[in-house]
Amino acid sequence: MAGERIAADAARGPSHADSSGAATGPEGEPPPSEHDRPALPLRPAFLFLRSLRRGLARGASPLEALGGAAVGVPGEAREAFEAALRRLEGDFPEDEWGFDEGFAETVYPLLELMYERWWRAKAVGVPNVPGHGRALLVANHAGVLPWDALMISTAILREHPLPRFARFLVLKWAFDLPWLSVAVRKLGGAVASPYNAMRLLEEDHLVTVFPEGERGVGKRWSERYRLQRFGRGGFVEIALRTGAPIVPVAVVGSEEIYPKLANLPAMARVLGMPNFPVTPTFPALGPLGAVPLPSRWRIEFCEPIETAHLGPEAAEDRQLVLELSEQVRETVQEHLLEGVFERGAPFL
Amino acid sequence: MAGRRVLLTGVSSYLGTEIARGLATDPSIEYVAGLDDRPPRARLDGVEFIEADIRSSALTEIVPATRVDTVIHNKIVRRPGPGVSARAVHDVNVIGTLQLVAACERTPSVGAIVVRGSAGIYGAEPEAPQFFTEELSRLYPLRTRFQRDVGEIESLFDAFARRNRGVVCTMLRYQPAIGPTLDTQITRYLSLPLVPTPLGFDPRLQLVHERDAVDATLAAVRAPVRGPVNVAGPGTIGLSRLLRRAGKAALPVPRALFATATLAARRLGLANVSPDLRRLLLYGRAVDTTRLTEEVGFRPRYSTPEAVEDWVRSRGSRRVTSAVGELLPGR
Repeated sequence: MAGERIAADAARGPSHADSSGAATGPEGEPPPSEHDRPALPLRPAFLFLRSLRRGLARGASPLEALGGAAVGVPGEAREAFEAALRRLEGDFPEDEWGFDEGFAETVYPLLELMYERWWRAKAVGVPNVPGHGRALLVANHAGVLPWDALMISTAILREHPLPRFARFLVLKWAFDLPWLSVAVRKLGGAVASPYNAMRLLEEDHLVTVFPEGERGVGKRWSERYRLQRFGRGGFVEIALRTGAPIVPVAVVGSEEIYPKLANLPAMARVLGMPNFPVTPTFPALGPLGAVPLPSRWRIEFCEPIETAHLGPEAAEDRQLVLELSEQVRETVQEHLLEGVFERGAPFL
Repeated sequence: MAGRRVLLTGVSSYLGTEIARGLATDPSIEYVAGLDDRPPRARLDGVEFIEADIRSSALTEIVPATRVDTVIHNKIVRRPGPGVSARAVHDVNVIGTLQLVAACERTPSVGAIVVRGSAGIYGAEPEAPQFFTEELSRLYPLRTRFQRDVGEIESLFDAFARRNRGVVCTMLRYQPAIGPTLDTQITRYLSLPLVPTPLGFDPRLQLVHERDAVDATLAAVRAPVRGPVNVAGPGTIGLSRLLRRAGKAALPVPRALFATATLAARRLGLANVSPDLRRLLLYGRAVDTTRLTEEVGFRPRYSTPEAVEDWVRSRGSRRVTSAVGELLPGR
């Protein structure tokens, strides 16, 4: 739902920009390119500044330019102000999972910035994600912070013809941390638990899971893009029970954002973390170490594997479950290696 | 067929009185007995009040004499009143239940027992599933005294149900109740002038409206089912959103100091935040209510956000921001 709102917003963006552009001069400025659509609360300010700049460039007096620029603003500014007020009153939607659409919309431009500029991500095979109904996205995992999950969501929001916000399951460890736990939940995260996965799929959501789990988080730099064991195939059982198609996703780039050189298990135990990574920037630079390196990303959505025809009873069939799990793992691994090759140099 | 005969323990609590009222107006029920150690606040027509301490062994004579077919156990203390020791609470909760179970064993006419238990048994855990179903009550150790009490109450009734196959035992697991007239631990906490909240946490809370809390018990009396049933308003609400709806100012306190802050509030006689509530305010908890709607056939009238809304309306609190909104020029 958030996705639809965001998409509608994106579609509306240029037309808004048009009208305010027209306000600056009768000769008709070229409409602003579709590329720059700033954040929801920032948009009025951006448009205002742009109109002001144009007015000044055409040689109008500063006061005139200011007046001209202000014409386009009140409606937008008022809207943003009112939205902020509504939030302050607690009048904003929040679903039973704690997913906060307004928050997600506000943060989305930041995610887009990370996607586009920081990681220069490229998405391949996005139409393989079902446009509606449930689906289980199974991806490789790396890094303590769920950037990969957020970038998968961003890729679907940006590139899919029917965008929607994918929910994701993250290690329970994140839910014991101040702020991070709140942000993760507001962006559609839930604790990695089969009960959560089942319920989300039954509610026809897109759910991103990382069967590598903790083993994925703890990968060393030298182990990057080598998939770890996929648990006991629990994700396949869940897909079979709910009849959800499995979409293997190969994320290239995420395994280079926090190059792990060593692990300090004693430190991890003291802090209650799944592991305590030592990267070139962490813990040497403290909180700055949480800034991910700007690797180049490539997110590939593979052909979905249908499970509905097998029926929920198939979940009891250990052999089938393990076979499917292996099939998914191999698909992700294969596309990972291809993807690493396709992408080329990681940081250039 | 003669009407049903019902015994209700804890009749003098607010919800107990309301449940007794509902029972007394039900035409299919011919006799209602209300048991408590203090008289009800209001006069209850059509309810025979029995003054007895639930902890006393006199129960084994009182209960059989009423010849009831249904027992509702509502005498479970969630919020100790002032001057009540933790030990006394434990006694009422566990020894009281023990006496009641013993009394039910001696009452052959009993065919159904409905317990107004607590979803507190699930605890509040960072790694918990976002919705507890009834079979997940043993995922985590029982951490607090109240949780252990509830655990003991549940196992007493489980054992009773195993021994007496003919008796239907319904264990209602209530999420905290909220409502205009209710005075509970949570409403007191939320009514503090400055509400201390754990810094950096925003738990998902799930509540049940007081009206639904009463009606759920009545529905379970009408259609008792075996085993535990979660009772809650559908949906959840984040603590910060709840406070904003209520126009309350939050005082974020670092987690390490949160216990101290709530203890201070207790010392000042402002609010008693139990360890259970403290954990709830850190990690939150929500339950799955499929069993309640499908097997008991009860659909709560208020979702959790609506229950909060009703509580906020009743307090008649003024929104600070609405005043600011009015200052804006008209569209």
